[in-house]
Amino acid sequence: MRKWRTTNQLIPKATLIFLGVLSPLLGFADKSTEEKKRWPFFKPENISVPKVKDADKITNEIDSFIIQKLESKDLTLSPQASKQTLIRRLYFDLIGLPPTPEQIEFFINDQDPNAYSTLVDDLLKDPRYGERWARFWLDLARYADTAGYEGDPDMPYAWRYRDYVIDSLNRDKRYDLFIKEQLAGDEFTEIMGAGEIPIASAEKIVAMTFLRLAPFTEPRGDETRHELLSEMTSTTSSVFLGLTVGCAKCHDHKYDQIPTKDFYRMKAFFNTVQIMPPERGDGFQIGGPLPADFYRKGEKEWANKRRQEFESIQGELNKLTSEFKTRMTNNVNPDKGKVELDGWVNNRNNDKITEAERDRYNELKKKVPHTKQHLKRLRPMAMSLRHSFGPPYEPGVPTSRVMIRGEYDNPGEVVEAGFLSCITGDQEPAKIRLDPFKRWPTRSRRMALAKWIASAENPLTARVMMNRLWGRHFGRGIVATPSDFGKLSGGPSHQDLLDWLAIRFVKENWSLKKMHRLMVNSSTYKQDSKRIDPNALAKDPNNSLLSRFNRRRLEAEAIRDSVLFTSGRLNPDMFGLPIFPPLPGDIADRVKYDNSKWATDPGKEGRKRSIYIYQQRTLSMPFLQTFDALVCEDTIPRRQSSVTPLQALAMYNGNFANEESEYFAKRIVKEAGNDPTKRIKRAFYIALSRQPSEEEIKELLPYAANEEKLVGLSRILYNTTEFTYVD
Amino acid sequence: MLTEPLCQTRRDFLHRSWNGIGALGLSGILADDLLGKTIGQPKTNPLEPQKQHFPRKAKHCIFLFMQGGVSQMDSFENKPRLRELHGKQIPGTPGVSGELQGRLSFAHSCVGSPFKFAQHGESGRWMSELFPDLATQADKLAFIHGIKTDNQNHGPSTYHVTTGSQFPGSPSVGSWIQYGLGTENQSMPGYVVIQDPRGAPCNGAAVWANGYLPAAYQGTLLRDQGSPILNLNRPHSLTEAEQRQEFDVIKSLNELHLAKRSNISELEARISAYELAFRMQTAAPEIVDISDEPSHIRELYGLDNEKTAGFGRQCLLARRLVERGVRYSLLVHGVQIGSHSWDDHGNVKGGMIKHSGEVDKPIAGLLKDLSQRGLLEETLIVWASEMGRTPFVNSSKLGNNPGREHNSYALCMWMAGGNVKAGSTAGSTDEYSLRSAGNGEPIHVRDVHSTILNLMGMHDTDLTYQHAGRIRKLTDIGGKVLNELIA
Repeated sequence: MRKWRTTNQLIPKATLIFLGVLSPLLGFADKSTEEKKRWPFFKPENISVPKVKDADKITNEIDSFIIQKLESKDLTLSPQASKQTLIRRLYFDLIGLPPTPEQIEFFINDQDPNAYSTLVDDLLKDPRYGERWARFWLDLARYADTAGYEGDPDMPYAWRYRDYVIDSLNRDKRYDLFIKEQLAGDEFTEIMGAGEIPIASAEKIVAMTFLRLAPFTEPRGDETRHELLSEMTSTTSSVFLGLTVGCAKCHDHKYDQIPTKDFYRMKAFFNTVQIMPPERGDGFQIGGPLPADFYRKGEKEWANKRRQEFESIQGELNKLTSEFKTRMTNNVNPDKGKVELDGWVNNRNNDKITEAERDRYNELKKKVPHTKQHLKRLRPMAMSLRHSFGPPYEPGVPTSRVMIRGEYDNPGEVVEAGFLSCITGDQEPAKIRLDPFKRWPTRSRRMALAKWIASAENPLTARVMMNRLWGRHFGRGIVATPSDFGKLSGGPSHQDLLDWLAIRFVKENWSLKKMHRLMVNSSTYKQDSKRIDPNALAKDPNNSLLSRFNRRRLEAEAIRDSVLFTSGRLNPDMFGLPIFPPLPGDIADRVKYDNSKWATDPGKEGRKRSIYIYQQRTLSMPFLQTFDALVCEDTIPRRQSSVTPLQALAMYNGNFANEESEYFAKRIVKEAGNDPTKRIKRAFYIALSRQPSEEEIKELLPYAANEEKLVGLSRILYNTTEFTYVD
Repeated sequence: MLTEPLCQTRRDFLHRSWNGIGALGLSGILADDLLGKTIGQPKTNPLEPQKQHFPRKAKHCIFLFMQGGVSQMDSFENKPRLRELHGKQIPGTPGVSGELQGRLSFAHSCVGSPFKFAQHGESGRWMSELFPDLATQADKLAFIHGIKTDNQNHGPSTYHVTTGSQFPGSPSVGSWIQYGLGTENQSMPGYVVIQDPRGAPCNGAAVWANGYLPAAYQGTLLRDQGSPILNLNRPHSLTEAEQRQEFDVIKSLNELHLAKRSNISELEARISAYELAFRMQTAAPEIVDISDEPSHIRELYGLDNEKTAGFGRQCLLARRLVERGVRYSLLVHGVQIGSHSWDDHGNVKGGMIKHSGEVDKPIAGLLKDLSQRGLLEETLIVWASEMGRTPFVNSSKLGNNPGREHNSYALCMWMAGGNVKAGSTAGSTDEYSLRSAGNGEPIHVRDVHSTILNLMGMHDTDLTYQHAGRIRKLTDIGGKVLNELIA
């Protein structure tokens, strides 16, 4: 009975008792084939939590698995880190920003034994959690705001997907639902009547932007469609199943049991995808959008407000233009021929307009292309797709074939849509349930795939996602290659633990927040990272057994956000249009194609969190790029963490760090008054979440005398290792 | 205070800690190195000089990239037959399969080259009158004709030639060479990009991206004005002494931080990265300061002429980079859209006169200058574009100023320097310059990449990196070295 309760909720209850018989029909192998398969291609079951000697170190089940492995090597967990360390670790990990001095004080003085777990709960409820963790999903989803390639055209509605991800994570949307929305958001509604037309909710339309985020260049007919659908297939597999099927596009996978035929069987689920033709003015480079209303609470009102704001810029320019035209025609000698308005306005001898009018005109003129693009972004649209409506309206279900060597014009064997045989054990076609009247034969294909992926019976989906979460919390996945569970992965360091987490995840109704909570509440997570037992270092140099916490460098986004947060200038506004923070030097002019692209937001708007920065495929923002953030071209399972002199130059000499240092200095004066020691203490508390030592105070005293000196102090703190490395 | 002195001298300390990079700091590299098949031991410093797989003379590579698709039959492929067919269709459809359709409409009239061709040097190399200066260097060059690229749009084919894959996300050639060989001068980036002063190439910065390789291998854009590398100037209002003082405080705080922790190689690496950054502040501006170049050198590169000054400066900087031990320089001529691109869909004659006029003297100057300094021996020069062009006109009518379409079947490139066999040729095109001649498989871009790596002393099959479940390499399925080009 226990097993059935955790089984896929979508299977009608009446059929549950026959599940053992039906399981092969659902696309999962039965027990007999199951036994022949190696990890991770069978479903995790019956994992018992191990008994350990050091039982008093256990906070939850995770620790039992970890300690057991450690004990087998005569090792044990490191002591718990200090509360001071833990609060900084937890803040960065869950919301991507440091705690304020007040939050630190409160936590350290809180004698409640549950203070830590209460803090965890609070942070998981904090909406900044979504802003932090969405970035990790956007890396996987190869999110960008432009299409890449020649001209790098803008994708004006992509940002709505970014907001969808933030919102979904904050609402702790069930992960199985999150998967289904992104793969088959248009196929949710059951069609039961003969006259019904397929519809989808706005949120689910936005979710499917996922399938359209690949870089894209001008269409070339069948070849482009082949490439697009192949990309959807391989990205879907890497992201949700942790299997790289991409190589099987051209040849049987060299390392894993993924024959070429399986790639095309999986691709066949996507073969009724219908992408809208481009809208007028979009050129031939990007497909068109689908209508999708603003659906979050207050979003419609927000969009209206922004729209008015941009329209008023446009309106003001129109008014000024017609006003100038009147003045010009009244004052220009018609014999001189046609005079161009811009030339007339900018003629310094022109006394018919004031200096202020001229400046305003030029300013507006510069803003308008960008404003127009923003107005486009504010249309209730999504860069989504849907299934074809089939004959007689649109293409029906095409014959799917293996394409030999992956070439679009080299068709081979005919295939039916079907699931990966390394999981199912056979290459039978998948059962695709159409509407009762079979009016929409092109429908339900992707939903069949989505349900199979988002099923409790699927051996990979939950394991892969738990491994991703684990990797983010602990610095390294249980499987070190989070998007590749195949033979090249090197296998899991803690197979039973990962299996147990996967089972638990499904049992917790696919709640990510519950699993975060479990992980960060463990004793394993709360270990110290600073001092390492030499014995442990010798026996487990890479710390794959986790006898200590892994110190980590912050990601690029968290570094930029922290600088702004400490200077007191981070704009906390959530969601909305992409932002365009100032770029150093003449970069914006050097790597852009037209004025509708990167138009710097010098004010508050440009100081929102980094997740909102415009992701232009031909222009990675240098500051973020230096710290290993690239605008995604394809799915990125994990970031690098490099150390380069260019990082030092950016953080020390760069405009951004220096501008914020000035504001940080002002903040220190305001909050700490005139006493130099107090200033240093306050600055440390804000930037590094701790009090300085006597030695550090002594070192920094020369930089605390006045506000100008404090700019140096701020700059120094931003450049300390401690600012970017979390214990 | 530190519990134990790290090293005796600051120099020792720097050396030791810089070499310590990667032991933990670049854990990405390390993990991947352990998992995948790479040459030698896992690298400590990602840019530390590495041994070649086998001896080759070239230590540096300068890649000259002409954006837009250079017309091969107006530059280096003499096709008298095409001149005869001017205004007529190509007879029959020579060896055409389905793949040669789309943009290539054989119904269109042929355009013979309007330029005179002559043979130059002892090698008797045919060149058009557009390259009079390069013609004097003809015996230094080795040509490749009829190269096949995977796509005939600018975006994908630019990716293909510069990264080995027509899809975005792969490391550029320079990143691979950095990854394989490291760099000699640790005070300078090892991979430098000098783009056309008029703007960016197609795909922008992705042309010199590190792709899935670690960030340490990305190309660094050398700007032609102001600070040559981003963020090289001290914060305004600070003197050098004041900055040094702040760097010392940072260092001392970082050492205090490090002293309280174990497993410190990454933290050490960070401390030495700051010292390197400090040195880079003086080393890098010196490169772009060409005021010490005598007037005959400026003349050699065409700096005294407005037409050639732009690319001339790029070429002169490339020589200075070679002198300073920079491993790989990418020079881009042309911007992605408009009249500054070699993409001559209309008026190929006018376009070719303009573009070639901008690069001929500077490139010849670079060859002469490197040669007279004895640097050509240790420098591989590669001249490339992203595709060739069609023998026939771009539109349905011939018109007065015909242009040419894209042609992914007939890219022409040349190489010089290092172990390149001067005067040699690989591949050929048919009598129309439409596609590769002969019955064999045409030369593919991956074969050229394989040859470039070979000339830098590496086997393409041994320069690998594990990414996303696959062992990746520049040449994907492996290229065929063009041995006829190698001395």
